[in-house]
Amino acid sequence: MRVLAIIPAYNEQESLLDTVKMVTSECPDIDYLVVDDGSSDGTAQVMRSSRLHGVSLPVNTGLTSGIRTGMKYAYRNGYDAAVQIDADGQHLPRYIAPMAQALEREGADIVIASRYLDGTVKPEGARGVGSRLISGLIRQTTGTTITDPTSGMRMYNHRMIELFAKGFDVAPEPDTVALVARKGGKVVEVPCTMRERQGGESYLKLGNAIKYMARTCTSILLFQWLR
Amino acid sequence: MSLYLRILLILGALLTLWTIAKRVKRNKILMQDAIFWLVLAVVLVIMALFPGLIITLAARLGFYSASNFVFLVVIALILAKEFSNSSEISMLRHKVEELTQEIALRDLQDHEERNDPSR
Repeated sequence: MRVLAIIPAYNEQESLLDTVKMVTSECPDIDYLVVDDGSSDGTAQVMRSSRLHGVSLPVNTGLTSGIRTGMKYAYRNGYDAAVQIDADGQHLPRYIAPMAQALEREGADIVIASRYLDGTVKPEGARGVGSRLISGLIRQTTGTTITDPTSGMRMYNHRMIELFAKGFDVAPEPDTVALVARKGGKVVEVPCTMRERQGGESYLKLGNAIKYMARTCTSILLFQWLR
Repeated sequence: MSLYLRILLILGALLTLWTIAKRVKRNKILMQDAIFWLVLAVVLVIMALFPGLIITLAARLGFYSASNFVFLVVIALILAKEFSNSSEISMLRHKVEELTQEIALRDLQDHEERNDPSR
């Protein structure tokens, strides 16, 4: 099975190289593609000087567009699966192999690396509340239990790669997981752990977090019935 | 409908026409987008010149006064325009993202073909 690791990077000059090294050393038999989403720091220079395999978007267009760039590459080059690995070093490549096995064994469309599948309790505070809320909405609307809907480490099969490459407004977010589950696709989870981010800044600041929750909840509750 | 409101409508229409003419002359707006404002100006003028028509319509539709009806017509036109703008911005955003992705992918393809002349 040919797997592509898509590594979206927006202003990740500190951690990008370590992340790529971790992927290539732990998963030597998969390919990777860095997507520099119009970074304003030295991300593009890091890619050039270390001869990393990747593309640079001429302007910043957001995470969804970065992932869709990688999905188009995967689709056009005939990959069987694509997995999102964040450049900040949170996602550990050692879970890529079990994810790929689950994808093949279960015939899944999406495999999510879940931090909570092993019974780990979700954190207190806004982050945990958001995760519980999204889990609840997905269970109510689709009947599928997703323990870690906000995990960014997801693997997609060839059918999903095509959906991302050609679709309109398909985001690598929980609402797409819900949509696929409701349409009869198969979503499975495998247990994982994640590290603290190794550098750079989190995208989820308060304003963004509110926008994220608003988009995710309205998409799952209302708009997915129209799609 | 007061004379004052009718004069105001005419002035509004003239201002709209003047602004849009200036924009068209300076190549700041496409003809297809200018048409909406032209139509708006015409609607304002019609409402100002034929108050009888507006008063009858307003009464038939159960409005408290003709001026309320005029305001509602203007607000409805603006909301419709705002909605179509929102939808158009969505489409433009989508197109910009698609183009950006294609440029980046094409750069990589060119680069790989240069480094591998056998392909």
